[in-house]
Amino acid sequence: MTNVSEKKKDKAPLLSYFLMGWGNLRAGQIVRGLLYLLLEISFIVFFLRTGIGALQGLITLGTNQQGMVFNEEIGIYERIDGDNSMLLLLGGVVTLFVIVFFLILYFTSIRSGAEALAQKAAGKRPASFRDDIRSLTNGNIHKLLLAIPLGGLVLFTVMPLVYMILMAFTNYDVNHQPPGNLFDWVGLENFKTLLASSDKLSQTFWPILGWTAVWAVFATFSNYFLGMFLAILINNKGIKGKKLWRTIFVLTIAIPSFVSLLVIRTMLNKNGVINTQLMELGFITQPLPFLTNATWARVTVIVANMWIGIPYTMLITTGILTNIPADLYESAKMDGAGPVTTFRKITFPYIFFITTPYLISNFIANVNNFNPIYFLTEGGPLTLDYFKGAGKTDLLVTWLYKLTKDSMDYNYAAAIGIVIFVISASISILVYTRSGAFKNEEGFQL
Amino acid sequence: MTDMQTKDTRKKDTWQRARLGALVTGLLPLVGFVFPFVNLQGKNLTGVSFLATILKNLSADRGHLLLGGGAALLLLLLSALCAVVSFIVYHKRSYDGARRGLPEIVGMASMVVSALAVFFQTISILYVKKAVEGAGLTDSFMVKDLGAGYYLTVIFAYLGLIWAMKKMRIHPGHIVLVIMSVVWLFPIFYIVMNSFRGEGSFYVNYIIPKQFSLENYRQLFDAGSKFHYGRWYVNTFVVAAFACVCSSLIVLATAYSLSRIRFRGRKVIMNFLLILGMFPAFMSMIAVYYILKGMGLAQSLPALVIVYSAGAALNYYVAKGFFDTIPRSLDEAAYLDGASKWTVFTRITIPLSKSIIIYTVLTGFISPWADYIFASIILGDKSGKYTIAMGLYGMLSQDNIDKYFKQFAAGAVLVALPIAALFIALQRYYVEGLAGSVKG
Repeated sequence: MTNVSEKKKDKAPLLSYFLMGWGNLRAGQIVRGLLYLLLEISFIVFFLRTGIGALQGLITLGTNQQGMVFNEEIGIYERIDGDNSMLLLLGGVVTLFVIVFFLILYFTSIRSGAEALAQKAAGKRPASFRDDIRSLTNGNIHKLLLAIPLGGLVLFTVMPLVYMILMAFTNYDVNHQPPGNLFDWVGLENFKTLLASSDKLSQTFWPILGWTAVWAVFATFSNYFLGMFLAILINNKGIKGKKLWRTIFVLTIAIPSFVSLLVIRTMLNKNGVINTQLMELGFITQPLPFLTNATWARVTVIVANMWIGIPYTMLITTGILTNIPADLYESAKMDGAGPVTTFRKITFPYIFFITTPYLISNFIANVNNFNPIYFLTEGGPLTLDYFKGAGKTDLLVTWLYKLTKDSMDYNYAAAIGIVIFVISASISILVYTRSGAFKNEEGFQL
Repeated sequence: MTDMQTKDTRKKDTWQRARLGALVTGLLPLVGFVFPFVNLQGKNLTGVSFLATILKNLSADRGHLLLGGGAALLLLLLSALCAVVSFIVYHKRSYDGARRGLPEIVGMASMVVSALAVFFQTISILYVKKAVEGAGLTDSFMVKDLGAGYYLTVIFAYLGLIWAMKKMRIHPGHIVLVIMSVVWLFPIFYIVMNSFRGEGSFYVNYIIPKQFSLENYRQLFDAGSKFHYGRWYVNTFVVAAFACVCSSLIVLATAYSLSRIRFRGRKVIMNFLLILGMFPAFMSMIAVYYILKGMGLAQSLPALVIVYSAGAALNYYVAKGFFDTIPRSLDEAAYLDGASKWTVFTRITIPLSKSIIIYTVLTGFISPWADYIFASIILGDKSGKYTIAMGLYGMLSQDNIDKYFKQFAAGAVLVALPIAALFIALQRYYVEGLAGSVKG
């Protein structure tokens, strides 16, 4: 390509740095060239008309606060609209995305122009617009297939995420709510308050992080081992009606988890069926505080979560069990190994080998496990030791949710989201280095 | 020859032990009755005197309790009897490997009897209070007053059952499965029962309704009701259906491209999706809300469809794992015949991927159906636009639970039914997909 342009001393490559699509136009790709040109013009118009302002807004996040000004003509105080920091931040982020998008197209247009000219120079006819369209179902099918998925992702996941990440570096809390108030950049202040200060937020963050870790460990491993036990039990040769048993447990997966969790919550209520029946049957005289005492509630959510989680592991393990080579068991039997030894030396290592990635991603999923906590306890019981609204069974995610939805402390919510990301990412790195090691192995070896 | 002889002696030894074992385990539960069984007002009673007192004092109208208590005792005695009989019967016949005739019948009978005994023993803890109070022994009986003898009886009854099952070559694991099934099915049973309960409010001290009725279901769809259940149901269905179509297409398109086509930037996109997936999904919900508001869609059902579908590409992983397993040679053969990539995708890959498509569609339908978080943030307080999850959640608030619990039960049954039916019907595909997700 470079050779050709040097030889021909054509101005087109240079010009196409300024006029997008120039190279395509010269090479005869009229529609494509015009589209590029139109794009450039509209971008410049957009940038001059709103883009510059939006970028300034992103930096200042607004300067005029909404206020009351006395209108002498009518004789009353009038509200003067100020800047809306939230919209300025959002506009700034959108503008940044538009700029990035434009830059990507800018560089593709230069390359595309150069390629078209090179083809023309080589005596070939550059692809017409119709060819381009047609290639979308063949050579460029990935562009057709990925356009909507990635577009949706950028618009509704990436852009909001960037917006939210930026929010972690502002003071957009309940006291700085637009349009009435402005918020501003504060740097790493939120992280400092959250992680290392004598503030209530910090005194809430660490215990909740601790409980999140305890919860994730117990929720993951209790389900893992008990589910495995159940699968092995049902899979045993001596068990009759395997299908029936599996269906009974699958039934609990089939019911939407919010339904079963809400049902369990009503059952564990002070006046719920468990307490009334236990009292009726003479086990207790006072209702048990399943969801209202901190320690009780923590144990309860872990146990109730098993009701939902064990069948999942059972299903997963069942599939793996049937794949264990039968000759392993036969030779073990020949050597006189009992059921415990076979489990310890064959079944468990085999399942563990295959499910390690699942186990770790399940751990991450549990760190982010919103439903069991929110539907059973709503994070409660609430405590005065914690920041307003946070309770003793709150995980980081449920606290994030509450900070977003109830107390509108968006900056702290965003900071917590970043902390969760850091935790998930570090564990994920573990997963992927591990599974990389798996790929290099020939397979399961005793 | 010597080999056969040792084998024979070993077999004989096992059956000597089996006979003894049957006898011991059959009789052991009775031992519990001579230990302190229950503590009544500071006085320890042994099992024997306890049962005697109860049977003597129980008034006639407490017949079923008598039956329960009597049944437990009777069955324990019966299983002991079976043990003795099988001890004698086994003694008379040397065991030859054939499992026919008297020993088998006795063995089976003793197993059935001890299974029943175990059942009554286990549930006896549920009616011992009524039995004791009905007999007028005390009016404040607590389960903790039960003594060591009682628990010994229960444990020995279980041991006896396990022994009998082993003898009949029936895996004792069935006991565990039965107990676990009861635990797993109880909440379902409970909510179904409550959905049909005609009388009372939330707080009742029994499980099986005194009066079955469909009133709760009818009230759910009552036009004048505080809760617009019917509308929520339609909302949820419409949202789930649209989101399911969109997200399935997105997931399959993404997975296919990343699995079957090698293009520049493929790795970058995969890593990018991986990193995106590590942020809590609803962290950015507030921003999404404002973006949707900017588009004039906030607090509406299309907004929900967009939210559920737009992020779907992140869940491409399972489907990609499946596409990876389709042999590449198939594609190449088709290319040689002049097929375009689009033709290969629609004519070869898709028909071969029935199971993963069903899995994707199933999960794509269920997750919006069961979602609460996104709906709660996007819809806010617009209760006419609520989905089922939000609506049912509201029915259980402090102020509503007493009045609306039974309707909640009916609502929960109606939400769970179609999903559960769909799920059970398509279970095979779900399991296949799930197995694919583990291979990561």
